[in-house]
Parts: sequence; structure tokens; C-alpha cells
Amino acid sequence: MNEDNFESNVFINCPFDKDFLPLLKALLFTVIRCKLNPRIALERFDSGETRFDKIKELIESSKFSIHDLSRIKSSQKEEYYRLNMPFEIGLELGCRLYHQEEKYRNKKSLILEKERYSYQKALSDISNSDIKCHNGDVEELVEEVRNWFYEIGVNGVKGISGSFLWDEYNVFMADFYEKRSSEGYKDRDFEKMPIPEYIDFIRDWLSKK
Amino acid sequence: MAKKRVHIIKRLNGWAVKKEGNLRASRLFDVKKEAEQSASEMREKGYDIIIHGKDGSIQKWKKAYV
Repeated sequence: MNEDNFESNVFINCPFDKDFLPLLKALLFTVIRCKLNPRIALERFDSGETRFDKIKELIESSKFSIHDLSRIKSSQKEEYYRLNMPFEIGLELGCRLYHQEEKYRNKKSLILEKERYSYQKALSDISNSDIKCHNGDVEELVEEVRNWFYEIGVNGVKGISGSFLWDEYNVFMADFYEKRSSEGYKDRDFEKMPIPEYIDFIRDWLSKK
Repeated sequence: MAKKRVHIIKRLNGWAVKKEGNLRASRLFDVKKEAEQSASEMREKGYDIIIHGKDGSIQKWKKAYV
């Protein structure tokens, strides 16, 4: 893991709220299924490590990055919109631009949004960039990410269509639910499960296929 | 070997009834309830029916009758 896997690491910059969790779970499955390695701030918990240092390490150790701007717009009155995701896009682009090493200049990024063109109103500095939209739909997210992997030449995606991946994710969810339920997990345990535990399950499941 | 399970899975334009292990869905429906009804007879043939939510989560798991 980490620095040694630069060529297969994918930095994931997305919301961590409850509403986004179904999208995040499918995104993690898609990344691992395509033989890549997700790097996410939730992968480790160390109160002695600052969040900024962790983000910096994740960006510098990942060739690929996926950024989700779903929370760029407040959904209700008095709610703050989230600035972490645009901030981390800036760090990613800065890493690519200002590092002298070639490996950083060859980094690849995907920016996702929930509503098409909403980013142009809030983050116009990147208005000429290609951005994909998932409409808040998990199946569309899986398809868009899978297609992006193909477009940038990720080998692990070859022979796997978007619809196959989506169906496989549903079967995976059934096995995940069945196995963990048999071990005594309740709904609350599923909701509160640490991301590393979920990632371990995906890897274990795929290794047995 | 694929387990004897039938999944009700969301499609961009409706709901699919799909036997686990098959490449293609058996049938497609506009309405989820209709997909569930169509799949229910498979319980008598020893299949579990797994009804997924739009996000792929498990909404309901109906065990086979036999």
C-alpha cells in the first residue's frame, strides 16, 4: 500500500456524510474491482496526524484521483456548503503543476458532480475541464467511473462493462449482508462500519471469486 | 457454482429480474413491484429472492420455500 503503489493508488476526495455513503461504498467497490487501490482519509485514524498532512500524503502517493463535488451547493437554508472537496482539488492540481518529477505531471483526475454544470457556478476556475455527472445515482456513478478508467487506459477494467460491474456490485452487497448478518452484525453495525473493514471485505470477496 | 438466488436490480430505465450467475436479466419491468411479483414464483423452485434498493443495498430478502 502507500507510496510503493503509486501507479495503482486512487485518491478519493468525496463527502463522508451519511447520504453520500451508498455512493462511496459503490465507488470503493468499483476502484478495487478494477484492480486499483483506493486511498481515502478514512483509511486510517490517528489523532496524532493532522488532516492536512494526511491529505498531502494521500495525494502525493496516488497517480489517480477522483473528486466529487456533490456538496458544492447547500441543500437547505443556513447550511454551509462544503469547501474541503474543492480545496483538495486545488491541492491535487497544485501537486501536478508544481512538482518537478514526471510522475506527478502524469497524474490523472476525474471530477464528478451531482447536477450537470453546477460546478461552473461555484468553481469557475475549472470551467474548461471535462467533468462527469452522476445525478446522485449509484448506478450512474459506477458507470461513469468505470468509463473513465477505460478512457485513461486502466488495464483492470478491460472486459468488464458498466452494467456487469453494477450487477456484480449488487451480488457483492447480498454476500456482504448475508455473511456479516450470520456473524451477528445488526443494521447499526453496517451503518457504523469503519471504511477499512469494508475495504477488507471487498478484497476478501474478490479474492475468492 | 452460482447460488440459487434471484436479484431484483435497478436499471437506468426500470427494474431487472436476474438469476445469479446469468449474464443477462430474465426480464425487465418499468415498475419494481411487477419485477418482485414476477420473481416470486421462483421461491417454489428453491431460489431466494433478493430485492435491492436503488443504491444496491438489501431492501428485502425472501427465502426459498424449499
